[in-house]
Amino acid sequence: MTDKTIKVEVLARVEGEGALDLTIRNGKVETVQLRIFEPPRLFEGLLRGRDFSEAPDITARICGICPVAYQMSSVHAMEAALGVKIDGAVRLLRRLLYCGEWIESHGLHVVMLHAPDFLGYPDAIRMAEKHGAMVEAGLALKKAGNDLMRVLGGREIHPINVKVGGFYRAPSKAELRPIAEQLKKARDLAVSVLRWTAGFEIPDYERDYEFVSLRHPDEYPFNEGHIVSTRGIDVAAAEYESEFEERHVAHSTALHSVTKRHGTNYLVGPIARYNINFDRLPADVQGLAKEAGLQATCRNPFKSILIRGVEIVYACDESLRLIAEYQPPAAPAVKLEPRAGIGHAATEAPRGTIWHRYRLAADGAIQEARIVPPTSQNQGSIEEDLRAVATAAIDLPEDALRDRCEQAIRNYDPCISCSTHFVKLKVHRG
Amino acid sequence: MSTGRVLVVGFGNPDRGDDGLGPLVARRLQMSAPSGTDVRIRSGDGLALIEDWRGYGAVVLIDAAQSLGSPGRVHRIDLRREALPAELTPTSTHGFGLAEAIRLAATLQRLPPILVLYAIEADDFTSGAPISPAVASAASEIVQAVLQEAESLQRQPIPA
Repeated sequence: MTDKTIKVEVLARVEGEGALDLTIRNGKVETVQLRIFEPPRLFEGLLRGRDFSEAPDITARICGICPVAYQMSSVHAMEAALGVKIDGAVRLLRRLLYCGEWIESHGLHVVMLHAPDFLGYPDAIRMAEKHGAMVEAGLALKKAGNDLMRVLGGREIHPINVKVGGFYRAPSKAELRPIAEQLKKARDLAVSVLRWTAGFEIPDYERDYEFVSLRHPDEYPFNEGHIVSTRGIDVAAAEYESEFEERHVAHSTALHSVTKRHGTNYLVGPIARYNINFDRLPADVQGLAKEAGLQATCRNPFKSILIRGVEIVYACDESLRLIAEYQPPAAPAVKLEPRAGIGHAATEAPRGTIWHRYRLAADGAIQEARIVPPTSQNQGSIEEDLRAVATAAIDLPEDALRDRCEQAIRNYDPCISCSTHFVKLKVHRG
Repeated sequence: MSTGRVLVVGFGNPDRGDDGLGPLVARRLQMSAPSGTDVRIRSGDGLALIEDWRGYGAVVLIDAAQSLGSPGRVHRIDLRREALPAELTPTSTHGFGLAEAIRLAATLQRLPPILVLYAIEADDFTSGAPISPAVASAASEIVQAVLQEAESLQRQPIPA
């Protein structure tokens, strides 16, 4: 058999830098290695010695796309360490802020980053020649999410209004009114984007994943709930380490997460969240999911584009519900006294569960920080998907095989710059 | 709907050496821009530009570019008349930088009626590095040029 090598020097339309090495010998996929070569970010180290109150502003800097996820996990973990539970209007505003991040992040990914894969375009710019209205819809969704983040967070990238205990300033009802009008339009656009993606040719591929996400007694999860898997895990955030562990792998600066019970990969993110929490979606959103061809359970990672669309609709509806319910709090934050302790929190970033643990000294200084982002948890699953997807597509021409692999990676909307602690593609055929 | 208002956008990441020149110039302009001219800073999200410039009759962008060998040299490019020269394509670490935003807006017919880019040849994009002396010394020249441009654009009729 002729030796062949395919190289993609940099995988585009993902956040950060990485590469994929795929070795095919005698017609079989031999090795799959997702190499992440962003330098280690060392955020856990630089948090040490800083005051607990600095964590939301420092961790927000880990990512420009999902800073809210880092802020929310850090404030909830700190509040757990300090023995405080935040409720009422501040809890509502945190959920609303997270809705903004889902709308912005999912809107960008579904339309601008992932849709071109399904329609055979090299990028959204070329796609815009034929699908201009949908690209405009994607831009409007991103803007609606960003505007919501700006009103609540002070600015849209690396928000500055979040603090441990609440917010520096709570918005007035009048400030949220124009955002509500924008979100009503965004909701309609989200439904049209979902219907557009439902018409895409989606690769026929399923795998039996262990899905992991938060599950809350009443709500589709953002900030609260147990960490639950489809294979029996059901633990509070404080018990995360009893069920999950991170392992170093030589080919990547990101750690690989596995379940301790089975020593196997698992999957976090929109599909996991949807499968575990389908019953928590309002009936009309469930109806839109079914209309798009989804069942209550989905095992096809390429359908993540549909589930993100469902989640955008949900986040618009939920935002509108929260804005209608909102009454400004008497105080935007509760005053907190430092004390020694350990705090944990898990929240649902657009890309999946993000877990933080902090150990505080009596004066509130951070002695130890641990941050597990979604992409490092998904890295093993991405490699397993690539092995299966490449095996099924092994006879495709090199370009088509490479495109299919890139599409499979983008199923996860991987945020590589966050997960290093991502992507050139090389296929070696021998 | 276009108006006679002018938008100036300093584009770049202040934590990436010379990429910080756009934001630096924008900060200075925020203090001296004539009424009728709005000044914004964008740190790298090119897509946001397309929404930023909605409704403006004229937009002036300031961004650092790969050097052609003369760090600090300023190129003024009328993007409604000239293509963005490939060799001056502004750098972007992510998918949608300034060049991609301009191409996408052109496809969507969302370019402002007047769009001018001040591209400054850069020397160093190292993370955490300060703006290099040759590039920093061009800042005052660009501030003056953009101020004059903004004043002149405000007096100009907006093309249909």
